[in-house]
Amino acid sequence: MTKLYLRIRSCLLLLLMVFTVSAMAQSRTVTGKVTDSGDGSPIPGVNVLEKGTSNGTVTDADGNYSISVGSNAVLVFSFVGYTSQEATVGSQSTLDIGLQPDVTALSEVVVVGYGTQEKKEITSAVASVSAENFNRGNQTTAAGLLVGKVPGLSVTRPGGDPNQAPTLRLRGITTFGGNAEPLIVINGVVGASLENVDPNDIASMDILKDGSAAAIYGARGSGGVILITTKSGKGGGSYTNINYNGFVTMDQVANRIDVLSASEYVARGGTNFGSSTDWFNELTQTGYSHTNNISVDGANNNLTYSAAVNYRDNQGIVKGVNFQRLNTRLEVGNSFIDGKLRAKISLAYNDRDQESINLGAFRYATIYNPTAPIFEGTPDDQNGGYFQRDLFDFYNPVALANQQQFVGERKNSLANYRLEYDLIDNLTLAVNYAVDREDGLNGGYWSTKDRIVGFGAKGQARRDTYSNRSRLFEATARYDRRFGDLNTEILVGFGDQLRSFEGFAAQVRQFLYDGPGFNGLDFGAIRQGPGTEVSSYYNEDVLRSVFARANFNYKNTYFLSATVRSESFSGFGKDEKTGIFPAVSGGVQITELVDLGVVSSLKFRASYGVTGNLPPFSNLALANYGPAGIVDFDGNPLTSSDQFVRIQLARDPNPGLKWEEKTEINVGFDYGLFDNKLTGSIEYYTRNIDDLLYGVNLPSGAPNPFGADVNNIANFAWANIGSISSAGFEFSATYNGLKFGGITYTPSFNFTIYDKAVIESFKVGDLGLSELRLATPGAPGQNNNEIIRNLPGQTLGNMYGPVFQGIDENGRYKLSTTNPDEFEVVGNGLPEGEFGFTNDFRFKNWDVNFLLRGAWGHDLYNSYRGFYENRDAASKTWNSVVTDKTPFITQSPTFSSLYVEDASFIRLDNFTVGYNLPTKSNVFSSVRFYLTGQNLFTITNYTGIDPEVRYTDSENNDRFQAGLAPGLERRNTYATVRSFTLGLSFKIK
Amino acid sequence: MNKMNRFFLVLAVLIGSVTACEAPDQEVFDEVPSDDALGTTNPDALAAFAASAYRQLVGNWGGHNSLWSLHEVASDEMVIARKGADWDDGGQWIRVHRHEYLPSEPAVGNGWGYCFTAIGNINNLLKTFGSNALLRSELEVTRAMIYLWLVDAYGNVPVITEKTTDTTPPTVARAQVYDFIEKSIVGGNFGGTVFANNLANLSAQKTYATMNRWVANVVLAKLYLNAQVYKGTQEWQKAADACQVVIGSGLYSLAPTFKDNFVTNNAGSPENIFVINYDENNAEGFNLPQMTGHYLTQQTFNLTDQPWNGYASLEAFYNSFETADARRGASFLVGPQFSSGGVRLKDISAEAGDPDGEDLTFTPSINMLEPNSFRQAGARVGKWEFRLGARTSLSNDFPIYRYADVLLMRAEALWRINPASAEALTLVNQVRGRAGVAAFLAAQMTADNLLAERGREMFAEGHRRSDLIRFGKYNDAWWEKTASLPTRNLFPIPQGQILVNPDLVQNPGY
Repeated sequence: MTKLYLRIRSCLLLLLMVFTVSAMAQSRTVTGKVTDSGDGSPIPGVNVLEKGTSNGTVTDADGNYSISVGSNAVLVFSFVGYTSQEATVGSQSTLDIGLQPDVTALSEVVVVGYGTQEKKEITSAVASVSAENFNRGNQTTAAGLLVGKVPGLSVTRPGGDPNQAPTLRLRGITTFGGNAEPLIVINGVVGASLENVDPNDIASMDILKDGSAAAIYGARGSGGVILITTKSGKGGGSYTNINYNGFVTMDQVANRIDVLSASEYVARGGTNFGSSTDWFNELTQTGYSHTNNISVDGANNNLTYSAAVNYRDNQGIVKGVNFQRLNTRLEVGNSFIDGKLRAKISLAYNDRDQESINLGAFRYATIYNPTAPIFEGTPDDQNGGYFQRDLFDFYNPVALANQQQFVGERKNSLANYRLEYDLIDNLTLAVNYAVDREDGLNGGYWSTKDRIVGFGAKGQARRDTYSNRSRLFEATARYDRRFGDLNTEILVGFGDQLRSFEGFAAQVRQFLYDGPGFNGLDFGAIRQGPGTEVSSYYNEDVLRSVFARANFNYKNTYFLSATVRSESFSGFGKDEKTGIFPAVSGGVQITELVDLGVVSSLKFRASYGVTGNLPPFSNLALANYGPAGIVDFDGNPLTSSDQFVRIQLARDPNPGLKWEEKTEINVGFDYGLFDNKLTGSIEYYTRNIDDLLYGVNLPSGAPNPFGADVNNIANFAWANIGSISSAGFEFSATYNGLKFGGITYTPSFNFTIYDKAVIESFKVGDLGLSELRLATPGAPGQNNNEIIRNLPGQTLGNMYGPVFQGIDENGRYKLSTTNPDEFEVVGNGLPEGEFGFTNDFRFKNWDVNFLLRGAWGHDLYNSYRGFYENRDAASKTWNSVVTDKTPFITQSPTFSSLYVEDASFIRLDNFTVGYNLPTKSNVFSSVRFYLTGQNLFTITNYTGIDPEVRYTDSENNDRFQAGLAPGLERRNTYATVRSFTLGLSFKIK
Repeated sequence: MNKMNRFFLVLAVLIGSVTACEAPDQEVFDEVPSDDALGTTNPDALAAFAASAYRQLVGNWGGHNSLWSLHEVASDEMVIARKGADWDDGGQWIRVHRHEYLPSEPAVGNGWGYCFTAIGNINNLLKTFGSNALLRSELEVTRAMIYLWLVDAYGNVPVITEKTTDTTPPTVARAQVYDFIEKSIVGGNFGGTVFANNLANLSAQKTYATMNRWVANVVLAKLYLNAQVYKGTQEWQKAADACQVVIGSGLYSLAPTFKDNFVTNNAGSPENIFVINYDENNAEGFNLPQMTGHYLTQQTFNLTDQPWNGYASLEAFYNSFETADARRGASFLVGPQFSSGGVRLKDISAEAGDPDGEDLTFTPSINMLEPNSFRQAGARVGKWEFRLGARTSLSNDFPIYRYADVLLMRAEALWRINPASAEALTLVNQVRGRAGVAAFLAAQMTADNLLAERGREMFAEGHRRSDLIRFGKYNDAWWEKTASLPTRNLFPIPQGQILVNPDLVQNPGY
């Protein structure tokens, strides 16, 4: 198969070498005025573009424009809320235009996977967001563009760590142990990494929400699908566009945990070291970031091209936490044989460097003694000159931030080669070959003076590297034909994806000098035993797919779509090699049948679809043997010829392991009122996820329950263990171009109400698996009481604990019980609903855009309060957290409902003011300045750091367990950030 | 129509070419496939497999939050007091101390998992290498030894062998488990499984940290000594006889000093009969300095990691040692504490009420069990040497069975048969003599004295709970503990195990 790929790849490269490039010419001036054809009012800010060129301008405050054009020019007038209009200039020097309000919002094209469909034909739940509706400001990830824009899509990034990727959930929790995030498809490359695309380069994102829409992606569609289309050249003419967008951003701490000042702390009885330090201020700074983006796109007859370079330098609010990223994208396409053969090559390369610190510094900055100085002693002493004391869990946060250093480099590349050929009329064949690759190199160094690795440890250094690759070959055939009133589209395809994962790690300890760190592991003396490591891994898997889709459109009134995909995965058990994922959906445009008055469009649709989720690792079905430590036959470490690494079963195998299966029914309406000025959708879905994949405990030592002839020794295996169900209601509405005097207002509102995921069953054969307990608050003293319990018949992620009933006269808790068997449900971290409200105003050359969003009905365990607000003996050592919910308790803290808070919130997420400079320049076709504030205010009763929904437990390194323990705000949470961005963008003719 | 045919032709070719395309079997790159692993004839690989049976025991016998912790904290010789929020741990250690343990206690689950994982591993070895008679005997008896821990701690447990096919093996009554252990060693038919006389088959060589005939006899001796508890009938003579086999072998003797057994390099002690062979690099899991040391104890031993300030002894137990008893000084860290450089250590966070103030001093007296025990309170477990500069795990081997224990067991068995037994007195005094304390007189051979002697000699080695039960003292009240019900003599079957295996039956009283 690999040889085939190579051959295809070299063919494509040859074709691309045949491409040619050329240029163009022009001159003559046209002026005119653009008005609303309904009320005759002038429309400022209308884009006026000479068709087929990058030559363009914008109307001024009175709707007037002036532009130089070539002979035979055609002008294109476009503005949000109006239908674009074309006019031939001919010999006229004045050209006035009346724009029609847009009533064709439903005619836009939607990317649906292996093709596009007109929005009016869509019969499943699909949302599209294009660049003009993306979130503004310093958005460092593609996901950030979508926050609050799509009902049912949660994009959360609690705290403000610039190096932390956001968590995405589409329609809530869809899996236990599979991929909980939506599948990412970039320009058709399935399973690509979001890192491959810079937010500046994205033209649109389409979100496949329901099972029917996602079924074309089969065993990876359960988490939903996000299809990303990058900006590219448009064919059919000759033009060149050069765009620049650059901005600087200032980040400030938006919220911190309040603690006692030095004097309050001493007055309260805390140990006085005689100084006064605001540790949080010492750790944080105002961070300045800058971003530059230059892109070129253009066309010359059959050739289209685009190229973009993005550079970002982000300095966070914490000293020592930052990243730099260079992202480059290049796309070239050409067509041959009268356009029948089309070839395209796209390359993306992303190079990222980051630095970070031990986030435990946030915890110590909160609780460290405020009377302690930062330094004492000399840099050569045992603590490197930092103030340190031998107290339990007591580390100088500034020392911690400076004495531990973590760096990472990541290189992502995505190369995609595509060839399409119209074999006969209506039949198009396409082949696609893509290589997606991520290479990472990390380093960590714990200084010789660092206390956390141990005062006798004398330094520790680590290097690890990994390389993940995916090679995808896909071939499709598409047949489009109209039979009388019936439009038919049939697609069949085949896909073969080889993924490989490899890595290497080494760690040593005991250094004389701090300088070399992770760059010189050979300076470390101890290379064996605790705190050291030498290891490597490599594995690969194969996913082979066949898929087909048929779409029917009868008289633009009745629509039907059917999909099937079969998926064969090498990582499935040998008796379960192939899964089939079918879907069917249909719709009817009611306004084509009856006149509904002000209702200009009303489409009812219903869908049913099955999707899956793959096991997270590919060897889980196999009874392989892995390394299990060194045995020394004579027990004498001095003789080494008798030392070997013994092997034992690497896992308890499950030869019957298969995919997770989600079945979803979605019913919805797409509506348009008042000539489609008001448009939107309403969705209701209900879904069942069966054969949930999860690692489950097995009876210790008993025979393997899945038929392998071994006894359990890990007492843990991945299995298809049960089912969950959930449902939800989604609503969206946009009013296009509401007028108040000269102001054009476009509000867009959406909300989601979740019927939270309920665990229907846990069951594997004879095994009972009736409970998953997770998430202890942690040290000190709260190590053994898991506060999340997942039980059949209950909502996923329920928090269990004693109910707080008050405080007795001695300042002690009155709790409902101390017996864990009598604990009750005291909260749940999943939201009952979320909303987003985008408001867009335009006035002359000005525009204002802001997003209010929020979530409600979710709880958070506030672990700062849960550990540090009591006036107990420990408050002599540690500073105390003070909130408006802090009670007077003298007892040591223990978990109860007292620390579970309702975290419903409303946040002004984003506020942008922009000014479009009127330009008559021969160089610039548009110039724009803008100012964006992000995270400007939050209304909430929550007293912790960030009321944002926590879908995962940040302290659990097992990402599968982490995903089943929502609603925990841990003590290492990065402070929230408020950002102000000043930007300039322009377009060169 | 021609075009349509071409379309269907292409379609047919496409579909035809791909339906044959099932994904290939998963290739193995960084592991050893089962057939290669088990088909090996390399003698070193086979030896490594045999060693596997013991490697599974390395881990948490001497470590925190498992079987050892349960045995110790539930007995009257050790306690983990709560120091404010520290060591609350969901109340587990207070409950264990007061015999209020729940089926959901993590330590209860960990202890069970530890034993049965080792059993699963041995069963896997037996499936592949069971045809080797010598290895079979070694593995079967090692499995029996682990069952001895289970029958003692949990009592009613499933019996799982390499022939078991039931994936949710049911509970077997304690007396039956006793029978299984005995037959596994001496031979016989247990529920259709016929055991050879493994005792005879086992190596008579003095091996280190592996199963041999002498270790097997100690397992039997322990089983018989506790027969009244395990199955309701007494087997004192059998217990005495099994001990005598070991004593009579002449292979083992008391080490010259008590401390010799617990130094970092204790592999040479003539007293070791069976140990868990810990090594700070290759066999980690014995982290006693962390478990018992005060935070500042790090400076006393230049430990790489800060200790947790947990385990201490009870004052009454500490006081059961005579001042002259060499074992007292060798078993505890008490009194003023100094850094390795001789500087007096100061705990600047010492509680206001602590009579010792900031000067770090381990006092045998503990002010309270909870909620605010003084941080410095309690004699610490200093029985094993903490190497200067020790890492998180010690290299000291942990004695599961030691010659002094065998002497005291035989003494007890003989005394049970005849309280005036002269040999019993001699044996006890052999152990006392090494500790530098006066010999017992015949009249001093009382139950209380025998139990106390075992306590002093075997402190922290995980035997105290069984001894208290056998002497009928386990349910008594002691410091911060009221009298407990006899059903507390067994730990509960872990809740997590009952959840996954519905055929397990919870022990009475839970």
